Amino acid sequence: MSPNSANNDHRNFHYLQPDYKRPVFDIPARYKEDILKKLRSLYGKECSDFCAQETERIMKVYYAHKTPQMIEWEKSFDPAHRFTEKDVILITYGDLIRSEGEKPLQTMKELATKYLEGVFNTIHILPFFPYSSDRGFAVMDFEEVDPRLGNWDDILELKSEFKLMFDGVFNHVSSKSKWFQEFLNQNPEYIDFFTVFSTKSEISPDYLKIIVRPRTSELLSSFYTLNGKRLVWTTFSPDQIDLNYHNPHVLLKMIEILLTYVRRGADIIRMDAVTYLWEELGTSCVHLSQTHTIIKLFRTILNAVAPHVALITETNVPHTDNIRYFGNGYDEAQMVYNFALPPLVLHAFQNENAERLTEWAATLKPFSEQATFFNFLDSHDGIGVMAVKGILSAEEIEMMALRVLEHGGYISYKADGDGKVSPYEFNITWFSAINNEDAEEPVEIQVKRYIASRATALVLMGVPGIYLHGLLGSKNDAELVIEEGQTRSINRKNLNKLELFKSLYNPESTTYQVTSHLIRLIQIRSNQCAFHPNASQRVLHVSPSIFSVLRTATHNQETILSLINVTHKTFHLKLNVETHNLNGKSWHDLIEDETYQVRNRMLNLTLSPYQILWLKNTT
Amino acid sequence: MSFIVQDVNHGSIQVLSIPERLTTETSDELKKILKDLVEKGKYKLVMDLKDTQYMDSSGLGAIVSKIAVMRSNNGDIRIAAPQEYVMNLLELTHIDQIVKIFKNVDEAVNSFKE
Repeated sequence: MSPNSANNDHRNFHYLQPDYKRPVFDIPARYKEDILKKLRSLYGKECSDFCAQETERIMKVYYAHKTPQMIEWEKSFDPAHRFTEKDVILITYGDLIRSEGEKPLQTMKELATKYLEGVFNTIHILPFFPYSSDRGFAVMDFEEVDPRLGNWDDILELKSEFKLMFDGVFNHVSSKSKWFQEFLNQNPEYIDFFTVFSTKSEISPDYLKIIVRPRTSELLSSFYTLNGKRLVWTTFSPDQIDLNYHNPHVLLKMIEILLTYVRRGADIIRMDAVTYLWEELGTSCVHLSQTHTIIKLFRTILNAVAPHVALITETNVPHTDNIRYFGNGYDEAQMVYNFALPPLVLHAFQNENAERLTEWAATLKPFSEQATFFNFLDSHDGIGVMAVKGILSAEEIEMMALRVLEHGGYISYKADGDGKVSPYEFNITWFSAINNEDAEEPVEIQVKRYIASRATALVLMGVPGIYLHGLLGSKNDAELVIEEGQTRSINRKNLNKLELFKSLYNPESTTYQVTSHLIRLIQIRSNQCAFHPNASQRVLHVSPSIFSVLRTATHNQETILSLINVTHKTFHLKLNVETHNLNGKSWHDLIEDETYQVRNRMLNLTLSPYQILWLKNTT
Repeated sequence: MSFIVQDVNHGSIQVLSIPERLTTETSDELKKILKDLVEKGKYKLVMDLKDTQYMDSSGLGAIVSKIAVMRSNNGDIRIAAPQEYVMNLLELTHIDQIVKIFKNVDEAVNSFKE
């Protein structure tokens, strides 16, 4: 079986205890040199020698946990085929589905094996560690599973069928974490773990106003320590204390945690809020070169001891800054969240006009055969709009925001650094964003519109990801926003297992209709090598009503022409195959199982409202 | 008490008085009033919330259910005299960042004339 296949049972890839009877891992010289170089650029010569030794020790300890099965399996691992057309990632909280008397991770496993096997091959379990706020993103203990969800064995059980994606919440820790509590106790080991000031005046107003943050709360939060009051840097909230990466001991701790996650089964590590990792007064404090160096260091370490593990960066920033996290395509993240995609798809469907989406998609270029986009439309957070600043005008973004409000959603704002605020993300479920509950239209048309919107993320180059509420077509839960006091709760409703299963098997329910259509599309996609992340991509400008992408497999030239009608009107398309440089006389629609012939250089197609055509060249 | 719509400034602005409770029981009626207004080409609206003691999420949603269509027709929704509970909800949901809020109806009406 291929080492890149998800059909392996990978539960036996690591020992719980290190095996030091075997020879210690001999780290190849090229990795040692690379690690030392990066540490020197971060911490200078004196400190970096110690850090390099310590990093090597941590790597050797990790390696001693690897089983012979894993070492053998890794020998034929090919990073160019790390991701294929089979890769589709389900994003979910570990406790999104609940059933009395069951551990939520076991409930998740039941749903996944009964319903999602063969559809999704990877599960991104959002932070499952003990936490104090932000639904898991204020981590109290990086190395434990929240006992309310289950334990490490439950996580490992999921690996029998699925690859796993873990969150590396490396930017900050909970104010209730042991690390921060020890800081409050002024334990010398932790005193430099955080960025600390005695007074606000230590940051000049000029410096303060250029710091870019995704929140409007105060940057510095006040705490009483054993030695009096201190102000600490809190990018996100007073409960999420930024770690101080100027202190190499913080980095070393995180390297240990990174490799702990690999031992515990992670195939992909999502670097949460990584943009803000390194702070430097006098700068914007976002995506600084040191931050990129740390990600590259993590990549080098993983390449050396666990090359099958990929890094994905989550950076809700303008598109050009976002794709810088690919590095040169070989030395930084293997995947980046394609943040511009969701707002541009939403724009296309709100306006029934795909021109802006088409123009942008035509600019997407592959970075390397080892790096690709994570094409998502929804997640546990909102629909970020930072990435389309510069692609859509401020007026267009504002009009989208107003329509989100009309659809029952909310808008979150960020501080711009000049004392003003601007939209940061839209808080709304994808189903409610695409459909207006108040519209007097049949559910059938809402489902068609929804599936058409989702198909855009399935056809573009990259690996698609779908949030569980997106798979189910969930509507807004605005009441939960008021209950929990945060707008992101609109898309985070917990579900009762029995009710969910009932809906999944009831053809009358919207959940059934959405889920069955979406699952079918994914299953068709997974069998087409033209949808491999590395298959070539050409975006066609056929009409503002149609979003069209041509994908061609690299190894056998299989071609699929995808056409999506983004409007509520039937569209008659006469496609001149010569003008659009389409080779082939016969095209078979994989969705409706119909064949279209080219006659007199023209492919005549009729797309019903929101219809999707996946035309495979059969000549 | 129910919803009351009054024309001001020769009918170019409407003032809509919202009842004491704006919840799932009443939000559909509010949505219908707003739908009727935009169908009649009335795009400048002041919502008088001085009597509104309680509002739930459906009420909040109803308030902004026509904001895009109003603004894209050179109009707007403006809020007047929200009480503390309602103001907290507007802040919590960040609606206060996008909808202009005034101390009283007169100020809200005059803001359209500026």
